Amino acid sequence: MKALDLKLFRDLWHLRGQAFAIALVLAAATATFVMSLGVHRSLTETRDAYYARNQFADIFATMTRAPRGITARVSQIPGVRQAEGTLQQYSTLDFPGRVVPVRALINSVDEARGNRLNQLTLREGRLPRLGYPEEAVVDEAFAKANNLKIGDQIEALIYGQQQALRIVGTGLAPDFIYALAPGDILPDDRRFGVFWMGQKAIEAATDRTEAINSLSIVLEREASRADVIRAVDAILEPYGGTGAYGREDQLSHAFIENELMQLSAMTRVIPPIFLLVAVFLVYIVLGRMIRTERTQIGLLKAFGYSDWSIGGHYLKFALAVALLATFMGAMAGIWMGSEMTEIYARYYRFPFLRYHVAPFVIIAAGGLSFAAAAVGALGGVQFAIKLNPAVAMSPPPPPVYRAGIVERLGKSAGFSAIGHMIVRHIARWPMRSAITVFGVALSGGLLFATTQFIDSSRTMLDSYFFRAQRQDLTVVFTEPRNSDAIHALAQLPGVMRVEPTRGVAVKLSYGNRSERTAIESTRPDSVLSLRIDNDGREVRMPIGGLMLSRQLADKLQVPAGGKVYVELLGGRRTQRDFAVTGIVDEFIGERAYASEATLGSLVGDASPAGAALVRIDSAHRETILRELKEMPVILGVTEKNASFEKFQQMIDDNMLTMISFYIGFASAIAVGVVYNCARIIYSERAHELATLRVLGYYRSEVGMIMLGEIALLVVIAVPFSCLIGYGMAHLMTSMFSSDLFRLPFAPSRASYGWSIVIVLLATAATALTVARRVQRLDMVRVLKARD
Amino acid sequence: MGGSAGQKANASSAFSASALCKVYRTGETEVHALRGVDLQIPAGEILVLLGPSGSGKSTLLNIIGGLDRPTSGTLHYRDLALSDLDDAELTRFRRQHIGFIFQFYNLIPSLTAEENVRLVTDIAENPMDPGEALALVGLEPRRDHYPAQLSGGEQQRVAVARAIAKQPDVLLCDEPTGALDSATGIHVLETLEQANRQLGTTVVIITHNAGIAAMAHRVLHFRDGQIASIETNATPISPSRISW
Repeated sequence: MKALDLKLFRDLWHLRGQAFAIALVLAAATATFVMSLGVHRSLTETRDAYYARNQFADIFATMTRAPRGITARVSQIPGVRQAEGTLQQYSTLDFPGRVVPVRALINSVDEARGNRLNQLTLREGRLPRLGYPEEAVVDEAFAKANNLKIGDQIEALIYGQQQALRIVGTGLAPDFIYALAPGDILPDDRRFGVFWMGQKAIEAATDRTEAINSLSIVLEREASRADVIRAVDAILEPYGGTGAYGREDQLSHAFIENELMQLSAMTRVIPPIFLLVAVFLVYIVLGRMIRTERTQIGLLKAFGYSDWSIGGHYLKFALAVALLATFMGAMAGIWMGSEMTEIYARYYRFPFLRYHVAPFVIIAAGGLSFAAAAVGALGGVQFAIKLNPAVAMSPPPPPVYRAGIVERLGKSAGFSAIGHMIVRHIARWPMRSAITVFGVALSGGLLFATTQFIDSSRTMLDSYFFRAQRQDLTVVFTEPRNSDAIHALAQLPGVMRVEPTRGVAVKLSYGNRSERTAIESTRPDSVLSLRIDNDGREVRMPIGGLMLSRQLADKLQVPAGGKVYVELLGGRRTQRDFAVTGIVDEFIGERAYASEATLGSLVGDASPAGAALVRIDSAHRETILRELKEMPVILGVTEKNASFEKFQQMIDDNMLTMISFYIGFASAIAVGVVYNCARIIYSERAHELATLRVLGYYRSEVGMIMLGEIALLVVIAVPFSCLIGYGMAHLMTSMFSSDLFRLPFAPSRASYGWSIVIVLLATAATALTVARRVQRLDMVRVLKARD
Repeated sequence: MGGSAGQKANASSAFSASALCKVYRTGETEVHALRGVDLQIPAGEILVLLGPSGSGKSTLLNIIGGLDRPTSGTLHYRDLALSDLDDAELTRFRRQHIGFIFQFYNLIPSLTAEENVRLVTDIAENPMDPGEALALVGLEPRRDHYPAQLSGGEQQRVAVARAIAKQPDVLLCDEPTGALDSATGIHVLETLEQANRQLGTTVVIITHNAGIAAMAHRVLHFRDGQIASIETNATPISPSRISW
């Protein structure tokens, strides 16, 4: 081994603490990168492979009822490669001994050959057979959650008829990777399941012989999606078509896309922060190292080492740190990725979801680490290259201290000599001090930006579940009912209030933009369903016109007062202009609201209710749920508390896992920055500190000089950390918001407090570790040497 | 000062050492820096230590200054057993009784001349005003200069001012004039002699410059970690008359 390389290894060993602290920060970048990109790629590849293998459709359409033969007509549309019609039917399941309402979405499957599109993957058992109408396949997650096995029987209420189903298989399908009950925002495997029954069996059960109500289409590669959708809508219009839509509006797909969008947002936001800090750390540590080795550099040059071999020597030091970081980060990233994947597997129903990291991901992460280290090393290496050997071998000029503005203020404020030492040292190395302040501020900011996600979710949930929804139960009818159904509900003992509501599928257009959505109606005097904007204030429903959620209004780019064109989807395709009389800033979903009368005028019937909002006396919950189960007009019942708990649980296991990762990472920044800063202060000041010890200063007092400098920098960093955190939180909440929900920026004081406390603890622990070195100061030796 | 480090005035002897040994271990080799030194230093004495490099002068100075501990033997400052003190007690001893002056000044570069002096007056019990201490060494006008803006001689005079500003009982000087020209060196020695004369400060000086011995009350010659001989000087001369 060459002597210079030997020196490299010794230097690395000598500066192992500092090298490791830098590697820690770089490793945080690598780990986040490997985790988020790895999970992103794993999810995307798994999904794409699953979609391809199971022929996930490109276009979907539902209608009231159409003859099966319509599929052939749709197949003739230019650009359509394949079309398939199926039946879908919601059903209520009866689990003996359980009052909790359980719903299922039953899909038809061709008994002979299975479906060609959105193919069912059997996990166990077999498909339902022709001539055995009781046979059904259930989705795997539902079977697991409810402890169902092949051969088990379930009582189902299908289309008003009680029917016993026998489980012959478990499976999953690409259109139900994320399976949501209507009106829910999170999957609940215990209360909602996807079933597949033989086509003939459903036809018979729903009285729809040779009919379909759902259509899936796969396109040719070069087909125009918009053209096909237009053609499909034209064909389905007479059959109550509700408008064909692409994958982006398919519920399951949209949720996965949303998750992928958040992951890629994370890849873009988080690693650059760590890389930036690492660049600065390499810059200050290598810069210091080269300054202390000034004489050696001169000597090596005098011996005949070229400028480049010396520059290369220091560059290698930085790259060695990057190598260590890549290794540590890749390991951590792989581990975190597999943890995250496990969480995803709980919410997304893939036939297989394995976290695998492509070598390319690690190589890219390593490349970023190396680039950051090299950029950080640039200044120092350049200095080493340019250093003239004759100049280098003479001692460096003494550091020049000046009394700055702060100083003059300090003087009048009566700083002690120690106070002057601290302030002047900070001012003497403004770049390094700024980097320390910046690093600590970033660390606090990152902590704040991530912990406030919990506040953000809580605010969103509170607004959605408790301020807007005042009901305990949402009762969905099999078909719109008149006020008799509402009265019947109100008669149940324990029911305190019932209000009708309905949702109607529409297409809203403004200019050349259009969106598929639903208009929800409530009564003007409603107390159970309120519109709450993001200030927590109630926005009254206008008597006429539509109120749009901010999200929807933004997408359509329609201002309040603008007129939107409304097309009713399904049934009679009424079309009308409505004025936008209000916009409400809501967090979840994108919807339009109208008064009962307005919606009634559009739909053309007096006051049928699609669903009822019910407030109950919690003491009667079980009896009420039991009664509801017995009512054939009821398709399903959603309990608000159960949905809320599900959401809470999701936050607890998903968000807390993520946030604990980030607390670790943000602390890594604080530790990395403060450790390096403290070590450099210590090495620069060892001589002065020993002198003070000789003059009669106690170890604790001498330690305070070091700690004082760091403490001052950290104190300066705190307000910056709040500012940075504020900005980052804004950026991240907006980057993580999607069509499905908008994260509010609603940090609590506790989040500010906690992030500051964690940063202070991390910095204090780190600084104290270094300050303990004061114990080792050798007064005698230091004083023998020229400073 | 309280507790174990309580002091009782003992006019006759500031330091008394008996059988002081100091062994440094570096790896497998042992270096005997002091081999059984017995010594009394009366209060108010100017003592000069002479001897070749490595003869043990600095080790003795460091031990009596409380920077280091003897391996064996006993050392008392007045009634205080220095050889028994722990680190914090030694620090308190230095803080209260000792002023140090070094060959390489050891000033804090980020502090001005006056602030370097204040570093000591901030923690001393009965200090002079920093300006007064600087005036004693003739540096009042340069009180706001940083070390980098002062010549070597001026820096050493700041170091002397810093040492005398706390009005210590003992001044320990390791090659105080080693880096100075003769005129500046004499100026520094005059300040030390003045402190001894006016305040009764005990002064111990290590030097290679045998001429300085002429200002001492006693001269100790060191060789191989032991005192080779002691000379008593009945008529010490003023530093200005020292032949450099």
